[in-house]
Amino acid sequence: MSAGWNHWSRPGSNATHIKAQVLNNSHLRWFPRLTLAAFLLPLGFGLFATWLPAVGYLPAIGAHQLSLNPWQQVFNHPSAASALWLTLKTGLLSAILATLLSLLLLMLLYDTRFWRIIQWLLAPVLAFPHVAFAAGLALLIAPSGWLMRWISPGLSGFETPPDWLLVKDPAGFSLILTLTLKELPFLLLMSLSAVHQLAIRQSLTVARSLGYDQYQSWLKILLPQLWPQLRLPALAVLVYSLSTVELALVTGPTTPPTFAVLIHRWFNDPDLQQRLTASAAATLLLLICALAVIVVLVMEKLMQRCCRGWLINGRRSSYLKILRPLAAPVAAGLLIITGLNLLVTILWSVTRRWRFPDALPSQWSGRYWLASLEQLQQPFWNTLLAGMGSVLIAIVLVVGCLEYEQVLKRRNARFDPSRTLWLLYLPLLIPQIAFVFGLQTLLLTLHLEASRISLIGAHLIFVLPYTFLTLAGPYRAFDERYQTLAIALCRSRWRAFWQVKRALLTRPLLLTMSVGFAVSVAQYLVTVYVGAGRIPTITTEAVSLASGSDRRVASVYVLWQLLIPLAGYTLALCWPAYGNRHS
Amino acid sequence: MRIRLAALFFVTLTAVLSGHTLAADWQQIQQQARGQTVYFNAWGGSETINDYIRWAGKEVNQRYGIKLEQVKINDAADVVSRILAEKTAGRTTDGTVDLIWINGENFRAMKANSLLYGPFTQDLPNYALVDTEHKITTLYDFTTPVDNLEAPWGMAQLVFMYDSARISQPPRSMTELLAFARQHPGRMTYPAPPAFHGTTFLKQALYELAQDPKVLSKPVSEVDFDQVTKPLWDFLDQLHPLMWRQGKTFTSGSAEMQQLLNDGEIDISLSFNPNDASNAINSGELPDSIRSYVHRSGTIANTHFVAIPFNASAKAAAMVVADFLMSPQAQAHKADTQVWGDPTVLSMDKLSSADKALFDALPAGKAALSAQDLANVIPEPHVSWVEPLEQAWQQRYAH
Repeated sequence: MSAGWNHWSRPGSNATHIKAQVLNNSHLRWFPRLTLAAFLLPLGFGLFATWLPAVGYLPAIGAHQLSLNPWQQVFNHPSAASALWLTLKTGLLSAILATLLSLLLLMLLYDTRFWRIIQWLLAPVLAFPHVAFAAGLALLIAPSGWLMRWISPGLSGFETPPDWLLVKDPAGFSLILTLTLKELPFLLLMSLSAVHQLAIRQSLTVARSLGYDQYQSWLKILLPQLWPQLRLPALAVLVYSLSTVELALVTGPTTPPTFAVLIHRWFNDPDLQQRLTASAAATLLLLICALAVIVVLVMEKLMQRCCRGWLINGRRSSYLKILRPLAAPVAAGLLIITGLNLLVTILWSVTRRWRFPDALPSQWSGRYWLASLEQLQQPFWNTLLAGMGSVLIAIVLVVGCLEYEQVLKRRNARFDPSRTLWLLYLPLLIPQIAFVFGLQTLLLTLHLEASRISLIGAHLIFVLPYTFLTLAGPYRAFDERYQTLAIALCRSRWRAFWQVKRALLTRPLLLTMSVGFAVSVAQYLVTVYVGAGRIPTITTEAVSLASGSDRRVASVYVLWQLLIPLAGYTLALCWPAYGNRHS
Repeated sequence: MRIRLAALFFVTLTAVLSGHTLAADWQQIQQQARGQTVYFNAWGGSETINDYIRWAGKEVNQRYGIKLEQVKINDAADVVSRILAEKTAGRTTDGTVDLIWINGENFRAMKANSLLYGPFTQDLPNYALVDTEHKITTLYDFTTPVDNLEAPWGMAQLVFMYDSARISQPPRSMTELLAFARQHPGRMTYPAPPAFHGTTFLKQALYELAQDPKVLSKPVSEVDFDQVTKPLWDFLDQLHPLMWRQGKTFTSGSAEMQQLLNDGEIDISLSFNPNDASNAINSGELPDSIRSYVHRSGTIANTHFVAIPFNASAKAAAMVVADFLMSPQAQAHKADTQVWGDPTVLSMDKLSSADKALFDALPAGKAALSAQDLANVIPEPHVSWVEPLEQAWQQRYAH
């Protein structure tokens, strides 16, 4: 009561005023709700509309009887068991490899000159579209690929490419390699933003003064703090690896293919009854992904229990040191592979003729680039619209959510932000193939298909989680005292936010937007399903050309697909420098 | 006799009358079509074909005021799936697809699930020029009766291509192919079924190796599948270890095969377009030394079509476009190997001399087949064979 009286009696007091400002921001509570609704509704309906056919209900093809027949069909398929095994093997192995590698590189290289190079190159590497990356890798390492062309016929003696099983091998090694290479930069970027929130240098100094070497301090002190931030990205990588169709089609085995490819095939089978089988299989894949996530979480708990003794045993020596000399060459190797991958794609885009064993094209041509300029105008604008639209909505929603977190934090000091909004990551933990078919049905019922609005909405489902993942780290690490001070000085939370917090966070905000934009540009399945194919984007054009035989045209489109998000990153990196100088 | 005459008179009369109304109707349809936009869902993997469709778009815009938009798809089955989703959602008008490039199993599925508009091709003036007498697959699409539900667009025939700089005599039967593989291990392969080029390779091999190929025209349920297909599996068991990558992995279709041929990884590729090789030589995708051939027994031939979904928004314009695609001008332009090289569905005998001259003026492609080879065709097996063949293949080689 007296507090209330105080509050009203001394409106001029800064402290009370600030408190009131903060607590009155309860309208912020709408942001988490809106954000969740933005993707939980389509996601939920999409899943539900896939589950119905999975139990035999799809009136359009005259299936009304609920039954477990579709599930039997899945298990009776000759390839099902081995495809499932293959999926588990490639998905788990590549996710584990990518996570381990990213952690090792972080621990071994952090704060070295090399690390800064990696930091710079991460964004462009991330902009490399998945399918293009896989296709480029195949162009590089296949027996008729560029590497072999360098040494043929001179060094290798091969006039025709050797019959070596390097790509699409039945064991799935080439798929594991592609997945690992492609997911590693994403995990590195995520650890980069997580590292912002830890007092790395201080921790290392303290640990060193206690006699721990750098690597031991990473393992015992920093890693346990880092992992909670990396858990979700790592799980997202796991689910992606288990459920990717595009990558598995390019570098995955064929006899049998992965389970996701089988599902894709069933969904596209001319025999429409197979739609039921596909739905059951998609649901099964969803269950498998959920199970894999649970297994990882249980393993994490077990690790925690087992390692507790080790963490505090006080031993100072570390085996990690042995790996140190390997780290830089491995990282350099990864960067070089990615660089060559890009280079071979560029070469093919200006080729007219290029046969084995020529190291370079025998005839060059720029006609595919010229032709693309005219043909890509409409897809270009669609790509820009969907990307900018979804990113702008996402950034407003995410900033709102993060601001609301601050409000909650003030109310309750023990509030742990990483526990909230985990639902946001659901789109990353659910295989796309398990809900896009259902999503399409929803949009059709609402007469919303093939409209640009629904395309933006559908992209938002995937842009939101990545936006949140990228921004949350730097945003939470922001020193709120600046903001408090600014409110005290200008007395308006909005002005303080815009002039101080936004200004100070310009770089992470822009970087987040460019990540979100890249995510939107890369969307294929959802763009085709929601846009009914009538809203062509750079990616839909690139993927449809990739199904043809002309590598040259496909390469041009892939490079466009890469250039557009890259332009976004460049803008994000250069804008703050330019903006600061001119404001 | 009298009754027959009367019947004949009646038939002629209705034909003449309907001919009149047809012309009147057609004018009405053309009027209706003006200003409409046709979303043509067609495979977008080939810039050559995309360019042709762009050309057709310009023509129909000039002639009939129709806007033709190609929706570039990966697989016609995606579109069948979309139309199905529209039906699920109760969307019986204003569908998103106006015209679809289709044949075979996708057509059968759409027909069986009443997803098609029509019959309509009997109303298209240019349909009268189609060679339905000799090109029987214009009436039976993979043995499914077409029933005027799709308009013939082009002819297809399984052809093989090889590099004449490397091989002097290509193997012209499955048995010779096995002998070739023995001599040159790792230099040939085929796409994995159910990719349709792969399934076609299986059908072709089955036709050549089966004791009595005639049974293939019967529904599979009426024959002893295991007995008929045993020679096929024996053949493949021998062939696979001799193939590219020892048969441990397969290609995804003719597009990838063509890339491998250009890369020099394999010596023999296959296609459904007899002029593909000539076209690819023109565009620089294949070397000049590539030549086409067919097996001595003949190879599987079929027709590809365009169809209109039951809920298409612009049915009148879709019909006008389908008619234009069958016109002598459009068909002759398409048959040009510098443009696309897709063989015509029209009958030269039914064309006016001016129209016929369009075809006569076409240059022969570098890797063109002889007229004799082109006439050497065998029919698709009954459509019911596809599923069991693919299943059995997977059972044996993909688990």
